[in-house]
Amino acid sequence: MSHAGRLALVLAALAAALLATAAIAVLAGSARIAPGSVAQALAGRADPASTEAVVILSLRLPRIAAAALAGGALAVAGVGFQALTRNPLAEPSVLGVSSGAAFGVVVGQLVTTGGGIVADAVRLTVFGLGGALLAGVAVYLIAAIGGGLPVHTLLLAGVIVGIFFASATTVLTSLLDINRLGGIVHWLLGNISPIAPAPLGVFALLAGLGFALIVGRARQLNLLALGEEAAVQLGVAAERLKLRIFVGAALLTASVVAFAGPIGFVGLVVPHALRLVLGPDNRVLAPAALVAGGAFLLAADTLARTVVAPAELSVGVITSFCGAPVFVYLLRARPRGGL
Amino acid sequence: MLLGPGLASGATLMDVRGATIALAVPPTRIVSLVPSVTELVFALGGEARLVGITDYCDFPPAARRKPSVGGMVAPSLEAIVALRPDVVVATDSGNRQETVDQLRRLGIAVYLVRADRFADVLDVAMRIGQLLGREPAAVALTARLQARVDAVARAVGRRPRPRVLYVVWPEPLIVPGRDAIVTELIQLAGGASITAAEPGDYPRFSIEAAVVRAPEVIVLARHGTDSVPLGRDLWNALTELPAVKTGRVHGVDGGLLHRYGPRVVDGIEHLARLLHPEAFP
Repeated sequence: MSHAGRLALVLAALAAALLATAAIAVLAGSARIAPGSVAQALAGRADPASTEAVVILSLRLPRIAAAALAGGALAVAGVGFQALTRNPLAEPSVLGVSSGAAFGVVVGQLVTTGGGIVADAVRLTVFGLGGALLAGVAVYLIAAIGGGLPVHTLLLAGVIVGIFFASATTVLTSLLDINRLGGIVHWLLGNISPIAPAPLGVFALLAGLGFALIVGRARQLNLLALGEEAAVQLGVAAERLKLRIFVGAALLTASVVAFAGPIGFVGLVVPHALRLVLGPDNRVLAPAALVAGGAFLLAADTLARTVVAPAELSVGVITSFCGAPVFVYLLRARPRGGL
Repeated sequence: MLLGPGLASGATLMDVRGATIALAVPPTRIVSLVPSVTELVFALGGEARLVGITDYCDFPPAARRKPSVGGMVAPSLEAIVALRPDVVVATDSGNRQETVDQLRRLGIAVYLVRADRFADVLDVAMRIGQLLGREPAAVALTARLQARVDAVARAVGRRPRPRVLYVVWPEPLIVPGRDAIVTELIQLAGGASITAAEPGDYPRFSIEAAVVRAPEVIVLARHGTDSVPLGRDLWNALTELPAVKTGRVHGVDGGLLHRYGPRVVDGIEHLARLLHPEAFP
């Protein structure tokens, strides 16, 4: 089958899975709404002021969109970091990039205020991006030895940079008024909330930019997997490529952290599962991760808001429960000397 | 104190943050995201209008029969919407600003309360009375509460004030600072909090600094359904402290002193008995 045909088939199958997950998510929730009423609200036939319309259109749908977007962004960020470091364990939270972004966002909240929700969203993402880039550069400088990035050194560098930025965030939050602390701690656990249309658009735009930076160079990333020297011989401008992928993955991470907090391990679990089925071709993997990551985080968030309803769990807790065992598996199963 | 127009024909209310909410009809469906407000609603006899509470609203026991919308930090927005509230009462110390913003975005009126001083407790009681259309009950309740506090003041007023260490949380040590309502409650109960001058409301504090100030009474808050206060052994091990020497390390129900509902006065009376047992034979 041609590459385009295969990609279309994969995306169609994953889109069907995402839609099925979304269908369950829109039906489930602590407000009991019959499937018939849900359908009416979705079709726009419910009174806009009715409970059904408000719950479905203003709460569940925006939250579904936010979860799918955040999940897709994190999974693609995972694909990007993994291609960049040629290491399947690399992922925003493992590399400490999420912690860096969270630090940036907290700084952004402390030093600036006002300007409306759209300006707020952009500003926090920019601060988050600054933190993510800072953490990523720090990890690279610590781990780069003789032109290579040894796997264990990279992981340890990620852990230590993550701890450093988490501590820096703790210092900042301990300066906060105790009444704001609850909100920050809640955000730091990773939580999806319904996002109003305008900021949701900003989120989609920023994440879309990060996705474009990565998916647009998927072919070159395949060559990079052969080794940097081989890639250069095949005409890849390796340094520029790596910079572009790094910025793209950091932007994806920062946008999610700004809108939903640091949610771990999505970028590890989803690309790993996809590689088992689809193989390592980044041209397929990156778009597939966008859709599959959305379905995965949406499923996790639907669990988060239904298992202890009407109370809610933090979705970051659920993804970490799934992600930590996958991380251990990958660490143990990795063939010696191999990838 | 706020004594605005009654709500018989609908009215505009201003909350403690100065946000105005217009209620077209007297609210008959109220969701409380604040345990102390839930207590107040019951104390004022307005519970028929209370349609939703949080998992933390555990008093009076009858409140437990109301539907919950989840926790204070992360309540389920859709559970709140499904209760079709006319107004949601929230606090800016305990609920998240984001929850308030989301509810307002959905067109739900949110009425914010908070209390940093005992006078604010009475103010909040009057505001909730107004919201419920039960001002006479609120006037009577606040008068009773004030009378009981005055009685405590008469009983303990001239006695020397023991130095009190109040422990909100033992590890890390969290104490009431100058902005905490607990600091004032200790004062009203005839004690002198050794952390009354610390900046902020609930600062972290060093155990060494607490020891240096030689507390004569140590009061340990119990939280939730815990029957024993946390960290009692920690303090009892410091045998040279005046409070430990004289066996004056006590547990109190934090639910009485950290919430600003009507039971705050029970808390003051309880504290006053601990600090001045001789004044209450």
